[in-house]
Amino acid sequence: MTEKQYDVVVVGSGIAGAVLAKVLTQAGKEVLMLEAGLTAGMALKPEEDYENYQSYLQRFYETTIKATNTPYPEIKDAPSISVLEIQPQTPYETGYMVQLGPLPFGSDCLRAPGGTTLHWLGNVPRMLPNDFQMKTLYDQGVDWPICYDDLMRYYEMAENEIGVAGDVDSQQGPDMSRSNYGPDYVFPMDKIPQSYQDQVWIKSTNGLDVSLYGKTYTVNCISMPQGRNSTPNNDYRYADTVWDPASQSLNLITTDKNYEVVGATWNSYTGERCEGNASCVPICPVQAKYNALKTLKKADESKLDIITKAVASRVLIEPGGTDVAGIMYKAYTDPDSIEYTPHIAKGKIYVLACSAIENAKLLLASNVANSSDQVGRNLMDHLVLLTWGLLPEKGYPYRGPGCTTYIPTFRDGEFRKDFAAWISPIDNWGWSWPTFAPGSDVTNAVINNAMFGKDLRSHLNADVPRQTLLHFECEQAPCADNRITISEKYKDHLDNYRPVIEYDASDYMRKSFKAAKHVSDQIFAANNIEDHTIYSPTEADYVTWDGQGYTFRGAGHIVGTHRMGSSASESVVDKNQRTWDHQNLYLVGCGNMPTLGTSNPTLTMTAMTYQAAESILKQLESNN
Amino acid sequence: MTNSTEHFDTFLAISAWLTGYEPVELQGTGMVQTYYSTLRENITAIDLDAFFAESDFILAKAQTDVDAAKVRTASHLMQNSSFNSLGKQIILMWYIGQWFADPSGDPNNSVQINAQSYVEALMWPTADTHPPGAKEPGFGSWAVKPVSVDTFNVTL
Repeated sequence: MTEKQYDVVVVGSGIAGAVLAKVLTQAGKEVLMLEAGLTAGMALKPEEDYENYQSYLQRFYETTIKATNTPYPEIKDAPSISVLEIQPQTPYETGYMVQLGPLPFGSDCLRAPGGTTLHWLGNVPRMLPNDFQMKTLYDQGVDWPICYDDLMRYYEMAENEIGVAGDVDSQQGPDMSRSNYGPDYVFPMDKIPQSYQDQVWIKSTNGLDVSLYGKTYTVNCISMPQGRNSTPNNDYRYADTVWDPASQSLNLITTDKNYEVVGATWNSYTGERCEGNASCVPICPVQAKYNALKTLKKADESKLDIITKAVASRVLIEPGGTDVAGIMYKAYTDPDSIEYTPHIAKGKIYVLACSAIENAKLLLASNVANSSDQVGRNLMDHLVLLTWGLLPEKGYPYRGPGCTTYIPTFRDGEFRKDFAAWISPIDNWGWSWPTFAPGSDVTNAVINNAMFGKDLRSHLNADVPRQTLLHFECEQAPCADNRITISEKYKDHLDNYRPVIEYDASDYMRKSFKAAKHVSDQIFAANNIEDHTIYSPTEADYVTWDGQGYTFRGAGHIVGTHRMGSSASESVVDKNQRTWDHQNLYLVGCGNMPTLGTSNPTLTMTAMTYQAAESILKQLESNN
Repeated sequence: MTNSTEHFDTFLAISAWLTGYEPVELQGTGMVQTYYSTLRENITAIDLDAFFAESDFILAKAQTDVDAAKVRTASHLMQNSSFNSLGKQIILMWYIGQWFADPSGDPNNSVQINAQSYVEALMWPTADTHPPGAKEPGFGSWAVKPVSVDTFNVTL
């Protein structure tokens, strides 16, 4: 189909692919983007774009059991993981993922135009400087080949592109202060207002001393930086990230104008502020929450070709050489048909940007970039221990963005030698995650307790607004045996491989669940929260430690399957995110992260993608 | 066979009695006709006739003796043996917006009635909030207590 030789072929239109498309085309490079999902999701005309997005919202409303991927089309030719397919007992192969266990992997991502940013929550805290040196400081995992300072300027580019709302000065905690951001730095927009419930929590939690293994920690509660629209910060002076051929670098250029809020892709006047839909996951109806299509639509259209319904299936290598010669993709017409036509996309440089799961799968299927035997290994996620209870007064949850305040107290410390660090978002959405509330409160009252009438109404009104939920998102350490593989036994509709997952939670993780619950107990006691947490042995991802059981949940932070490192023998990509084995093949996305830290990974991954874009531009120009 | 509007008034009145919402609040959702049709699609006319006859009896009793009407409701509408749990089905339909085929047997066997039934489910206003993804209350509204007109315990 396409014989044109592009400068860069990018596989995937999520945030990493979109940033590359924007930066590279604006620098004058010809880019071809391959996207496995449907054409409608890529609509560039406002009317079609709006209609397609409304169809997502309708699907969300109409579906009985709502999950993270509910609003988006399920297609057999490019299946997405569904969290509804997760089962307690492994092995099983009933979903898209083949789960060999011993524990099921509990997170999903989305294969569609815009990628998982369509359903992400939008929390964008930066990683901490110490997160990059886990081996040196805590003898856990590995060090990154780059340090926090190396990423700082790229963090600023990512925060500009995503449009971060937050308060820099309040970002105070272990290994985190004003110095992490520089003396004058501000986010593009003011912080998203913290919820009423947060204020109830803060009264008895901010400044609380909790003890853990003989040490005292003072808890603090701070606002969460978010990729959603708020009021522009008048002190913010960055306009955009621009390639400077003279210095061979990407630079954030300054402006006298105030930050311009980026609204919905179909109408810039829609979604200029978060409107409090309280449905960021799975869909922001007004696109006040950032998604990658906003970035993609800023690309230079004259330099960008996008082919949708194109599933990358194999990376081809020059016969007798090591350079990538092309990407074979399968183009389908009917998304549920087994019929396809094969094509080859050709460019000078190739970039895989289709998620930690799909990138690893594609590399393994092609037998490329794997001289280190690290492809597919070190699969990581935040293992989320939830604790929930009833506040003594109404906190009025189920309102606002999912998280507006978090506890950074256990993000870093000497304890990381013994057990995993965690970040603790205070959840604004009641018990919806662990118990499917408030629907389950209704069914319990009506079906089990036969309640009706004003008694039913007043019972629900007295209890549901007091529901509260705390997260302990524990940093999973890299483990070579937590991995994605492929097998001839497991193929999808288009004869592409399905991901085969082996996964477990190490003692290092289980110790952190015990520690987190101990901290939760003290915080709940200080707030007079009546603990209703239940971990049931029949649940998926139920584990035990020291005689107690805990259930953890996936955070959707799928990281680490093609890690970056300082040597070809131990990593898949170098510090520029180029594969060690193929000089014209780059990988981008969360798969590059050697360790996870306690941040939601998208911001860091986006920062890294800017760094990769800069390397790609340098390489293209040096070859000219 | 009942005609399409027979029992409609009783349906609205017994819905109010079972949900604890005033008839005008239920009408305000715009869902009364949809839910009435859902009943007629899922329940035989003979069973509906019997259910509404009992409902009329309870509603009449409630005019003079609320406590006695409550006792009668508990024993004649809210038992699993009462009309195959139809009373519970009606409450769940209003509160959750889903049709539960067999609430007392398999509580997971439910179907979203339509998009609007999600948006209008009573569990959201009951919880002093709005359905996620609809009826958005505006920027920063979550930073203060919810603003609402308290209709509870008000006789309209």
